[in-house]
Amino acid sequence: MVKLCSKIDMNYIIFLLRKLRKALFSNVFNTVITLLIILFISLACFQTFEWLIFKANWKVVSSNIPLYAFGSFPSNEQWRPATWIISILSLSMLTLCGPEWKWLRKNLLIAWVGTIPLGLYLLYGGFGLSPVMSRHWGGLTLTILLTACSSLLSLPFGIVLALFRQSSLPLVYRLSSIYIDIMRAVPLISVLFFGQLLIPLFLPAGIEIDRVWRAILAFTLFVSAYIAEDIRGGLQSIPKTQIEAANSLGLNQYQIIRFILIPQALRIALPALTNQSIGLFQNTSLMAILGLVELLGVGRSILANPEFIGQYIEVYVWLACVYWMVCTIMAVLARHIEKRMTINQSNF
Amino acid sequence: MKINKKSVLQLGVCIIFFGGLGILINNLTINLIRTGLGFNFTWLFKPASFALAEHPLPYTSSDSYAWAIFIGWLNSLKVIVSSLILATFLGTLIGLARTGKNFLLGIISAGYITVVRQTPLLLQLMFWYFVGFLSLNDNMFIQIKNIFNISNEGIEFSGLTFSSEFLALFLGLSVFTSAYIAEVIRGGILSVSGGQWEAFRSLGLSEREGITRIIIPQALPAIIPGLTSQYLNLAKNSTLAIAVGYSDIYAINDTIINQTGRAIECFIILLISFLLLNLVITNTMEIMNKLTLKSKKYG
Repeated sequence: MVKLCSKIDMNYIIFLLRKLRKALFSNVFNTVITLLIILFISLACFQTFEWLIFKANWKVVSSNIPLYAFGSFPSNEQWRPATWIISILSLSMLTLCGPEWKWLRKNLLIAWVGTIPLGLYLLYGGFGLSPVMSRHWGGLTLTILLTACSSLLSLPFGIVLALFRQSSLPLVYRLSSIYIDIMRAVPLISVLFFGQLLIPLFLPAGIEIDRVWRAILAFTLFVSAYIAEDIRGGLQSIPKTQIEAANSLGLNQYQIIRFILIPQALRIALPALTNQSIGLFQNTSLMAILGLVELLGVGRSILANPEFIGQYIEVYVWLACVYWMVCTIMAVLARHIEKRMTINQSNF
Repeated sequence: MKINKKSVLQLGVCIIFFGGLGILINNLTINLIRTGLGFNFTWLFKPASFALAEHPLPYTSSDSYAWAIFIGWLNSLKVIVSSLILATFLGTLIGLARTGKNFLLGIISAGYITVVRQTPLLLQLMFWYFVGFLSLNDNMFIQIKNIFNISNEGIEFSGLTFSSEFLALFLGLSVFTSAYIAEVIRGGILSVSGGQWEAFRSLGLSEREGITRIIIPQALPAIIPGLTSQYLNLAKNSTLAIAVGYSDIYAINDTIINQTGRAIECFIILLISFLLLNLVITNTMEIMNKLTLKSKKYG
């Protein structure tokens, strides 16, 4: 038995090696390219490791970890945003590899939506916690808050816009088309700028929205136009016969939208929607230009500190790693949810 | 009955929409009167009195705001067109490497794509600017017989100078967009059926000839729509110039708003600029699309 195994293994290894040789060294040109690449990779790896271990001064990162995570949140209250981030992380773990209990799986969505009020409560304080002004929010906490709130708010808004754009009423259709087309034509930064500078001008004297909420509003206005187009794609791919079938079953307009169109359109649009929220997470970095101290903003303010001046590479590499990590977690979660959704579909 | 219901619904939406708009505009006029600015465009012809580091056409601070905005337009176009070309070139190369047989090349390009796509563009731009260009100090000239100079001021190439702001933006945008274009190209190539590859190989065409003459022409109809949206994204992303201090249309409008407080007017100018830009890009790509479809039909 052992003999057989090793024989198969040897054959397999020889097969792999042959394949490798065919892929990498099939002719002179390929061989040269392969050798050049190997040289390049080893040089790059060597340089990078040398820099990472010997040259880089990681004090700029290690001594400022709380700043990156929570911004200027009062230091004796930092357990609050920490609790929030940890609860989100554990919820992701639970979603990814938690047990298959039905009651758990059914309520996961509610738990996810529930993280937002929990986060707001923990950040704002009140009801037993000491209140913290929103200008003290910052770092990764603020980045996640911006992403979560804007994603959640822009979903219903996007659904309404998409339905309006599919509507047979010409005026409703025109209005939503104009809105979507304008929003998709302008750069995000100008919309955010509109949020920070112009929204106060449109409000009556005496009413003020604070900076974080103005940013969330601007992100929502922008992203909902993109989400609307994704959902419209989903709506268009639902065959007309389904609506006819629903009509013949005696469902009214509202019921058709609520029970036939929206669930299917959302399922079809799901990959696009998760991509939008990953994009949104990256785009919250633009608020660093417009004066919010989120993750990138913290990096900028640390670099402005004379103690750490000129240590751009360390800070930017560290920030890139953090963004990359969170994006990867989001992407893994998204793939997981998509997979579960398709399984559900086959159960029908 | 049915028509009635529809028109009532439309009327309702109309009333809500225009009512809301009316309240907002009312608030706006009250606020504008309170700040004493009003709403007009006559300020456009007053002297701008700010300097621009980068101007393709002659510009002094005594020129009008309108001229400054025009210069901003030109700067934007300059960076958009140049990064568009480099991004397409890089993206095609990486996309081809990703689909090619050499899996080492495939791994490298896949790594490039994930790293570039999973980090924010703004961070990348800052990296290019602060690490790539500003860290070259004055005494670290890379000089080749006065033809080619690199310093923290930028690159000088036989009389042509490119500022480091421009170069950071140009490289950052190109690298960022190229990762997305590579995925578009890969999708297009994968949409061509495998039989086409076998067919041109069995006809004795070389790999390069087969790709340029057989595969890419067939992949183009699938590539061009994706390419269009990437070009539009590139144009929109070019407004991040403000982070590296390049004076594009958005940065100049920002300066003007800080100077004059004319936020609404500047915002309208920005809006119109981008609607026009989008129109130009979409129409150009539409023409390209028609040309490729035509060549496919008769070719």
